[in-house]
Amino acid sequence: MKKYWWKLLSILLLLYTLVMGFLGPIPGLNILEQSIRNLYFHVPMWFSMMFLMLMSMIYSIRYLHRQKVEDDVKAHSYAIVGFVFGLLGIITGSIWARVTWGAWWVFQEVKLNGAAAALLVYAAYFILRGSFEDEEKRARYGAVYSIFAFVMYMVLINVIPRITNSSLHPGNGGNPGFNSYDLDSDLRMVFYPAVIGWVLLSVWMTTLLVRIKQVFRKKHQLDLE
Amino acid sequence: MVQHIYQLVRKEVQLEWRQKTALGTIFIYVLGTTFLVYLIFQGNITIPTWIALFWIIALFTTVNAASKSFIKDANEQFYYLRSMASPVEIILSKIIYNALLITVLALVIYGVMVLFFNENIADKKLFLLTIVLGSIGFSNLFTLLSAITARTQNFALLAILGFPIILPLLLLIVKMSGLSDFAIQEKDIYLHLGAIALLDVITLLLAVVLFPFIWQD
Repeated sequence: MKKYWWKLLSILLLLYTLVMGFLGPIPGLNILEQSIRNLYFHVPMWFSMMFLMLMSMIYSIRYLHRQKVEDDVKAHSYAIVGFVFGLLGIITGSIWARVTWGAWWVFQEVKLNGAAAALLVYAAYFILRGSFEDEEKRARYGAVYSIFAFVMYMVLINVIPRITNSSLHPGNGGNPGFNSYDLDSDLRMVFYPAVIGWVLLSVWMTTLLVRIKQVFRKKHQLDLE
Repeated sequence: MVQHIYQLVRKEVQLEWRQKTALGTIFIYVLGTTFLVYLIFQGNITIPTWIALFWIIALFTTVNAASKSFIKDANEQFYYLRSMASPVEIILSKIIYNALLITVLALVIYGVMVLFFNENIADKKLFLLTIVLGSIGFSNLFTLLSAITARTQNFALLAILGFPIILPLLLLIVKMSGLSDFAIQEKDIYLHLGAIALLDVITLLLAVVLFPFIWQD
């Protein structure tokens, strides 16, 4: 119980999100209408992705520091699951954009293009890892690239939109943020638990992936002996 | 340390000068690409298209020029170089050399594009400053990445790794180029120049900090 309480918490929070997300009260705004429920699914995908990429970078730094294989396995796994959540974020975002902004893909949207760039960055990271036969080299070069990539990605999605000032997202480019719609805080009651639930789920998925990889590594070593 | 870096940069220039084919290749590449673009667009473009084409050609030329930075050093001369100079000296000398090369190439592209298209940016000094700052950023990033890709046989890898990462810098540079043609507020110019300079510093720091991990066996 001590060890897996957060997994139970994740299940409970996501059950709550599903039930309240689809049935709970909404402000009923023009254009947004029912699509505002996507707030509980689209936004937490990005929170999860960002959190996982941050973890991936931390483990990359740790790998360069200690040169232990486990750190590299973790860095790689966090990147893989982060990539999946990024894809889900783009898909949910694209559907939402079609409903509210009128197109699947909108150029004036720095965050959308930043998200696509992030997926390209991590796709390149996987290809880079695939180009090395040697395990140690693969880990070292991958770590260097992922640290560099994460910093530039943060610049891309956090700094550039503020300078160029062109985003259709709430709270950017003169658009009001969601908090100004949300006077009765009905949304908030579901949104915050949803974010925590999804982030916990993503970490859970990563720990499973790490364990699978470790089993395969062990099997490989036994086969060699 | 400064002495070492100077020697290393000189070595790069001398080696390049001795093998004129390599240098010739990249210059002909620039001329050929620009001429091709001129013919494809039938000689008629607006300033935003001009700027976009300029930076696309500059980006592809950079990838080409930077891709061979470490081929020789990481394989044939690796142990020799490692015993002669520290990793920081090596990456700094490479970055300086590449920045010079990219700036010269960008100036050539600029000259050829002005010649062909008869279009020009209104504030030339500001645009030249953008070219120099942009070339430094390109050099910081692609020099480090070419060190990563030098030991793989995958030649498209440099482009794959570089394009998504260069995006923040490239967006700022293109915006800044537009501003040097026409700016409503002077404060925008300083904001963008400052942001580009800041990115140059960040990428340089990252390159210097991370390179020693690549410069191992």
